[in-house]
Amino acid sequence: MVEHFRSPKVFAAAALLTVLVTSQCARRNGPQATGASSVRPSELLAQNPPKPAPALTGSGDAARRSVLEFLSWAGASTPGQREEARVRIAAAASNPDIVNALTSEITSARTRDHSRALLALSILGEMRSQYALPYLRSVLREPLPQPGRLIEGEDPNQTAFAILQGKAASGLAYLNNADSNAEVFWAVANHASRIVRAEAIRAYLENHNNSGEARESLRRYVRKGEEIFLDRPNRGPGERGEVFNRRLDAYLQAHQELTAPAPDRGSGAQQGRGGSNFDAQPPRF
Amino acid sequence: MKTSAILAGQVLALALLSSVTWGVCVQTGASQADTDLWNTHGCWQEYFLWQYRAYDMNGNDWNNRGWNDACNSSLEYPKHWNAAYLVTYGLLDNNDQSFHGTADYRAAAEARGSNFHDHFVHKIKDDNGVFGSFDPPDNLFTSCPLYDPSATNSNPASRAGDFMHESWHGWMRKYNYNNGSQGGHRPCNNNPDGTCTLGACTVNGCDYFYFHGVSKYVFGAMWENDGTANRFHSPNQVQVEFLCDVSDQPQPWVPASVRLRAAADANARSAARFINGPGYTCGSFRPW
Repeated sequence: MVEHFRSPKVFAAAALLTVLVTSQCARRNGPQATGASSVRPSELLAQNPPKPAPALTGSGDAARRSVLEFLSWAGASTPGQREEARVRIAAAASNPDIVNALTSEITSARTRDHSRALLALSILGEMRSQYALPYLRSVLREPLPQPGRLIEGEDPNQTAFAILQGKAASGLAYLNNADSNAEVFWAVANHASRIVRAEAIRAYLENHNNSGEARESLRRYVRKGEEIFLDRPNRGPGERGEVFNRRLDAYLQAHQELTAPAPDRGSGAQQGRGGSNFDAQPPRF
Repeated sequence: MKTSAILAGQVLALALLSSVTWGVCVQTGASQADTDLWNTHGCWQEYFLWQYRAYDMNGNDWNNRGWNDACNSSLEYPKHWNAAYLVTYGLLDNNDQSFHGTADYRAAAEARGSNFHDHFVHKIKDDNGVFGSFDPPDNLFTSCPLYDPSATNSNPASRAGDFMHESWHGWMRKYNYNNGSQGGHRPCNNNPDGTCTLGACTVNGCDYFYFHGVSKYVFGAMWENDGTANRFHSPNQVQVEFLCDVSDQPQPWVPASVRLRAAADANARSAARFINGPGYTCGSFRPW
């Protein structure tokens, strides 16, 4: 045996086999990490209860720092802190430096972190500030990016920007004055994206208590074929099922065209290959 | 001796090459929504050591993507398990308010065979042209647009929403349904004005919405179907319902950045992806 390993070819084959088997085995092991936590999230959350909202104040650089701190807090804030955030945000409405710092952050985040851009735009819209109107208008009116490569049938750059423009429309509808509503109506009639038109309609209706008058105001602008958006239900956070179900039933009753046809059958049931049926319960939270 | 050393070096180089995955996904950071959720668990080891088995993932597929660096939230595997964490623990399961429960969304997303789908393996594909795919018989791929930090859907809610979407193609296969020829959806029709539509759907890859109210499926029964439109789900619909439950029925610790993105993704899909649409909306009508 020892003699065999004096042959370079046998040595190479044995070494190759050993290294490959070792590397395959290693890769079948579980993931590895440095710096992992052994603390349950429930304990971690108990040790770090939600922090109170920082103030959105200051001018110049102080305003910029305040916005950055607030964005960090707001992104991590919990559902129970929604009203606390709204109070802080509303209190900054008369501060143009805060508005400017927010708009800078939105512009900067648009191409590098969509979730941050959406977060900052939500705060700007919630501020209901006259100072925010020009920026919200400029975002809403900016043309969609040029058509590009599709992902699963949609243009991801256009969808990304349309989602932000929908949030701008929601901020304008929430501002709810003649100038801002004119922008909402413009979007309902003219915006190139159905996502934005739909959000503009929803936001206007909800900000006017879904009144018949609001519906009639919108009807003058809604595109032919999109009148259905005036009727569709929204399920809000914490809303009871029976309330939503009543609205959904009314929607389906009013629009028989929403009834889907029977699903199509395939060419024959296909069985999977089988495999690991690991069914251990996840660790206690 | 010299020959042996050279040979050993060559063998080692070959072995290293065989284990390297040359990825194209961007690994430079994580979105704020990913980071905010990450901070709620601080890279909980016990969870990811459970998760990789529940999602049937392995180091061959996820090598150089954080498999050996599972606390590096810039990499794909940590982002994958961050999204799985949202599915496992993030929902309130309110019988009176949630469309479906954790039992449904976990069974859809996890690998094991069940009433929801046959067994599949979670893998990653270096492809910037799809969010994900279900490749029969047993591969559930997620792709770069769910991991690149600047991409719209690179956040835990949208990533987990894609788990639901792709797994539902597996459900279709298990129960012998044909949802269309455009990647498992129905293709749109090209119009003279350059748009492509099918009914109310404005993208190339459309589904029907099989509307149902809250509490119409007990938790754990989302897989049920009766062969008619009365009891059925499409992939985009399951995705929208999951995203709405993240937005509106989350656990009290789920961060705002995650919930906002969930509602935005749900509402964009609801407006654009359904032939008999639009689907309903969710989330607060107020900007915040």
